[in-house]
Amino acid sequence: MRRYLIYKIKHNYRDFQNIPKSTMTDTEDTQSAATTTSITSTAPTDKDAAKICVLLNATGNVPIIKKRTWTVDPNKTVSWIQKFIHKYLKLDSNEQIFLYVNQTFAPAPDQIIKNLYDCHGTNGKLVLYYCKNQAWG
Amino acid sequence: MAHDREVLRMIWEGQIGICFQADSDEIVGIKPEPFYLMVSRLSYLPLVTDKVRKYFTRYIAAEHQEGAVWFDFNGTPLRLHYPIGVLYDLLHPDEDSTPWCLTIHFSKFPEDALVKLNTKELLESHFLSCLKEADVLKHRGLVISAMQKKDHNQLWLGLINEKFDQFWAVNRRLMEPYSDQESFKNIPVRFYNDDDFTYMQKLISPLSESGQKKNLSDLMAELSTPVRKAVGFRTHGIDLHEETQLQWVSEHLSYPDNFLHLSVDYKSL
Repeated sequence: MRRYLIYKIKHNYRDFQNIPKSTMTDTEDTQSAATTTSITSTAPTDKDAAKICVLLNATGNVPIIKKRTWTVDPNKTVSWIQKFIHKYLKLDSNEQIFLYVNQTFAPAPDQIIKNLYDCHGTNGKLVLYYCKNQAWG
Repeated sequence: MAHDREVLRMIWEGQIGICFQADSDEIVGIKPEPFYLMVSRLSYLPLVTDKVRKYFTRYIAAEHQEGAVWFDFNGTPLRLHYPIGVLYDLLHPDEDSTPWCLTIHFSKFPEDALVKLNTKELLESHFLSCLKEADVLKHRGLVISAMQKKDHNQLWLGLINEKFDQFWAVNRRLMEPYSDQESFKNIPVRFYNDDDFTYMQKLISPLSESGQKKNLSDLMAELSTPVRKAVGFRTHGIDLHEETQLQWVSEHLSYPDNFLHLSVDYKSL
C-alpha cells in the first residue's frame, strides 16, 4: 500500500507539471470546500446561465473526489466532464474515465449535460458515476 | 404492442444511395472512380463501409491506409454514431441530387468535431447504451435489465446483418408498454433543428395531464415558445401527420436505438 502511494505521488507530481495552471487553480480551490463549487473551464463565460447541479460518485477502484457536488454549465458535454475528472484525479494519459447516469447507461461523449439533467435528473441533481473500467456495460 | 407490422417493415427497408469519393489530397497516382452503395437508413456509417474502405485503400498513401476513417458531406464531418438516415435528413440534400455524395477520409480525423466511435465494438456499446437509456425512459429500465446478454447480442446482430425478424423478435419486447400499462412512461425522443447536429432531449409523456393519449399537434404545442412555434416533424424522410398518436409514433417510427429522431420545423412568431 505504501509503495503504491509513493508511486501515486510521484506520478501525480509528474502530471501536475503537465496540467494547465488555470485548471489546477480550480481543483485546488475545491479540495477543502464542502459547498457547491463550479467546474469552470479556463474562461468562465456567461455566468448568468442557469448551472446544473451534478453529483459525482466514484465506483470501482477509482480514487474518490472528496467534493461530490458540482455545478456545471448546461451545454458542457459528457466528454468535457470526463476530461475534468481525469485531470482532477491526475490520471495517466493511458487511463480512461467512464461515466454512467444513475448506474444505468453510459451517455455518448458528445451528449450535453442539459439533456441528461432534463431526462434523468432527480431532486434537482444529475447523479453521475465515474470509474476507470466499464461498470454497467 | 406493435400491430402495424408493415409499417415496421417499410421503415426497416428504407435505403439511401450513396456515392463515395476519395479525398484528392490522400490519393497517390490515378484518381479512383467513385464507389456506389445502397445503405440502410437505420444503420451506421462504420457498419456499412467495409467495402468502401477496402476499395479506396489501394489508392491511398501507405501511411494513411490504417487511419481512422471518417466522412464528410460538403465539408461537414458526419457523426459516425448517428444513424445514417438521421444524418441524411439533417443535411437534406436536394431531392434531385441523389445519390448522396460523400467524401471518405483516411487521415486528419477531426477529433474536436467527431466522437471517435469508429469501430464496430465501440459502436455496439454505444448502441446498447442508447437502448438502455431509452428503456429507462419507457419502462424505468425494467425490460432491458430483465433481458439476457444473448438478447442484447441478437438486437445488435439483427441490426448489423439487417435481419428484420431477428431484430424485431427481441425489440418487440422493448416496444411494448410495461405489463398493465397502455403506454410508455416517457417517450425516448431527440429533437433536431435544421442541419445543426446537436439535439434536444427532455421528458415527453405520451399522455396529457387528463390521461388522454397525446398526438403530434399536442407535442408541437409543448415545444412551442412565445417566440417560435413548432409546426412540423420529420423522420425517415417522412413528414408526419399532426394527428398521429405519439405512442404509436414511438412504437413504429423509432430507430433501432429505440429513440425517435425528429427534425422539428419552427416558425418564428
